[in-house]
Amino acid sequence: MTDSQTSLEQEVAALIVQALNLEITPQEIAPAEPLYHEGLGLDSIDMLELSLAISKTYGFQLKSDAPDNASIFSSLRSLTRHIEKSRVK
Amino acid sequence: MSQSWLSQEERGSPLLMHLITWITLKLGRPAGRVLLVPISLYFLLFSRRARAASRLYLRRALARKPRWLDIYRHYFCFSATILDRLYFLSGRHGHFEIDVHGVESVQQKLREGRGCVLLGAHLGSFEVLRSLAVQFGEVPFAILMHVDNAQKMNAIMNSLNPALADSIISMGSPDGLLRAKEVIEAGGIVGILGDRIRPGDKTLTCRFFDADAELPEGPLSFASIMHAPVVLGIGLYRGGRRYEVHFEILAQSLDAPRAQRREIIQGHLQQYVSRLEHYCRVAPYNWFNFYDYWASASR
Repeated sequence: MTDSQTSLEQEVAALIVQALNLEITPQEIAPAEPLYHEGLGLDSIDMLELSLAISKTYGFQLKSDAPDNASIFSSLRSLTRHIEKSRVK
Repeated sequence: MSQSWLSQEERGSPLLMHLITWITLKLGRPAGRVLLVPISLYFLLFSRRARAASRLYLRRALARKPRWLDIYRHYFCFSATILDRLYFLSGRHGHFEIDVHGVESVQQKLREGRGCVLLGAHLGSFEVLRSLAVQFGEVPFAILMHVDNAQKMNAIMNSLNPALADSIISMGSPDGLLRAKEVIEAGGIVGILGDRIRPGDKTLTCRFFDADAELPEGPLSFASIMHAPVVLGIGLYRGGRRYEVHFEILAQSLDAPRAQRREIIQGHLQQYVSRLEHYCRVAPYNWFNFYDYWASASR
């Protein structure tokens, strides 16, 4: 792994692994790697479940009409950046 | 094999579909229906693969060896519902006698403010359910579809009833399911056809008639993540102008923590398949999966 996780990235990676029961360790999620399909291999159901876990943990809703959804979900790094910006807890 | 139904659906030439649409909307349903006879005969003679699939299915649903006439009736039933779809989608339901069963259970859920997953199938007409929207009050409504089907449906809807095109949600993007989630949270209905698998789908094996078939896990996973009630919705075509709609609650609330989800979903999915089997026996010519439905499970 060339890229190391920031501390919030570590926290979000742990949330992903726990919410989705993945059989990997949080450290194995490369921050810049795609989460969806190729990359981590999550499907749209996983992404929905992850969205709900994020809402619960960080207190804000991911909305379907946000124009930048595709980029938000593109990697651990961009997702974490979005959480940092939007979190209310 | 999983691609076969796709190629099947594209077989009907767009020009022909347009012609039927035009004749039906200009000259009326009887004129359109006259065309269904040669169309059904054409497919009966020239679509070897669909014919083989029809036979495999009908042998089970009719519990006897199907005759040519059975296969013809199967095709005719399919094309008749395709034609009637034009009416349902453009809001002209007045032409039909629609017999509805079990709608109260759904109304009850909606009155409690609970959004429902409406699980349909390629069995009869899903569009006829749309004509009942008024019975569900002003709740939001959306249909969840795979991307390419969504595009195809959008094109049809835009030409018939642009307002409805908005209700098609395309799966396969994070936003798609977020929209579906918002519809459920707003106490609305999310319709999904739950009987076909696509490459890459997570699947479960269920017993359908005398053999195993693979079904997608996704629709019920969605319901379980949303803790939403699951309602079976089937609109059977009964000949002439008659349709018969059946609603049944398949799950009051699908609560399945991720670790046990597959197991819990399996039970509900089998229940869904068993009900499909029941309706296939009631109205055998309404099954519109013209490919070997059992093939993927036997490999």
